Amino acid sequence: MNANESSGAIAQHVKWPHNINLVPKEVFGDPDIFEMELDRIFYGPEWHMVGHMAELPEKGDFKTFDLGRRPILIARGEDGKVRTFYNSCTHRGTQVETSGCGNRKDFTCPYHQWSFATDGALVGCPGTSEFTPGFDKANYGLRELRMEEFLGLIFVTASKDTPPLMEWMGEVVSPLTDVLCGDGKLKLLGYQKVIYASNWKAYNDNDGYHAPLLHSAFRLLNWQGGKGRQIATTTGHNAIEAELSLPKGESFLKDPSLIEFKGTDPKQGSRVVQLFPLAVATKHLDTINLRFAIPRGVGSTEVHYAYFGLESDSEEMLLHRVRQCSNLLGPCGMISMEDASIFQRVHLGTFSPGDVEFQKGVKRTDEFWFDFKQNDEASFLLKWEHYRKLMSFERRQEA
Amino acid sequence: MSAASVGFEILEQIESLQQTYSRALDSAAMEEWLDCFSREKASYVCIPEENEKRGLPIALMLDDCRERIADRVMFVNKIWVGTFEPYRTTHFVQRLSVEKIAEETYRQVANFSIMISPEMGSSYVLATGRYHDVVAMEQGKAVFREKRAVYDSRILPRYIVYPF
Repeated sequence: MNANESSGAIAQHVKWPHNINLVPKEVFGDPDIFEMELDRIFYGPEWHMVGHMAELPEKGDFKTFDLGRRPILIARGEDGKVRTFYNSCTHRGTQVETSGCGNRKDFTCPYHQWSFATDGALVGCPGTSEFTPGFDKANYGLRELRMEEFLGLIFVTASKDTPPLMEWMGEVVSPLTDVLCGDGKLKLLGYQKVIYASNWKAYNDNDGYHAPLLHSAFRLLNWQGGKGRQIATTTGHNAIEAELSLPKGESFLKDPSLIEFKGTDPKQGSRVVQLFPLAVATKHLDTINLRFAIPRGVGSTEVHYAYFGLESDSEEMLLHRVRQCSNLLGPCGMISMEDASIFQRVHLGTFSPGDVEFQKGVKRTDEFWFDFKQNDEASFLLKWEHYRKLMSFERRQEA
Repeated sequence: MSAASVGFEILEQIESLQQTYSRALDSAAMEEWLDCFSREKASYVCIPEENEKRGLPIALMLDDCRERIADRVMFVNKIWVGTFEPYRTTHFVQRLSVEKIAEETYRQVANFSIMISPEMGSSYVLATGRYHDVVAMEQGKAVFREKRAVYDSRILPRYIVYPF
């Protein structure tokens, strides 16, 4: 079977439930479906957040990452421009750069010494006199991906059919602008990197949606008491705009600076933006956090939590952000450790038969609507519908 | 100054402190872990080597005062209760050097590797790295003024509950 026939067979095999608040569990653990997702979503007409300009501020700075399984190299050229390439030599396909980040004058493939400038151009390849007639170095630069930038965020896509970035982001532009504090002039503070034993969709379904039932820390922060709303788009993006009203009276912490707010932003509060399929950007109190994620396999998702301050921050403010980010978020964060535990348990549970159910905030089960309260899980149904369509899974006619 | 030139009794006390530290974590006795730190001036930092090398200050755990170390005990014993799958660890620590840096104050560097045994599945390596410690003698007892666990693993294999 070729890829199309194989996808067709899988699409027919999956029986998507009639009611819109149900998702078949089989889509989480099936390796064939995972392969199809790489093809249709990760290499398909979607943008993928792979970095921020603040991660590579100097000429020659680079970062490697993966788009699905495809290795990519993001580099700031001598001309100051940032470009994204496949991290693969245009000769025999060897991975060119092995470090996660660094600074280079050029990138040299160790196999046959082909070397590439920081703008991707092939500048050296010994022995061209014996190459194919008419060989021209100009045709052998590193292969570049389509890239667009929004307030320093770097997005790439492997498809020529992906709509322009602003159009693709739609309504979540506003909360994403809030996360990036208006102008995106950020300063990198560091990373926490982790692999979760979970399918990327189980990770994505449970990151960002902060169920107050799960998070006792959020209860302590009076998360439920805050006014908030969710945005969900038919293109699969979600955002939460909420206020964290800090507890009054004596703190439950011996060092209350962990949950102190020192920013000057008048819109004190939280923003969680999820961009389909897998990117998350959050702002809680004074933390600015971008989560770059890679689907490593059907049951394995790698997440790089990158933390930022503002270029304009004082030393005192930067220190405050570092102390808050380190202990509040990530795989060991006071308010997020439980998420990490849930990802894996959701994933394992989906190997049982039947459907995953969405209940909270589900107003009806036969068609979609667009207003959601802060803690509704129903807001993820639009994302699932977008996914279902991309994967050509047919919804059953009968209830 | 090499380990050999610090008195045997001091080395014994530092060794005993590290043993208490490992035993506390390997039995999830967080209050005993807290007791390993100085009451005067204490700091516990657990940071990936990648950040350390690049001069990026974000840590996995950043408890730069005793209050924060005590708060971490509270996260594990109160806030997170019932939300994570219990796991046990086994610490292996190998001292590399001890030197005296001030009166009754010593710097210790040691390798660590931490095995994890989840409730389901086999044991595996959770993290490896190096401890950079400052140990002080307070009222005749060795305590950590600073413990800095720098882990080598570029990517953690799972979420983390207990300190390294």
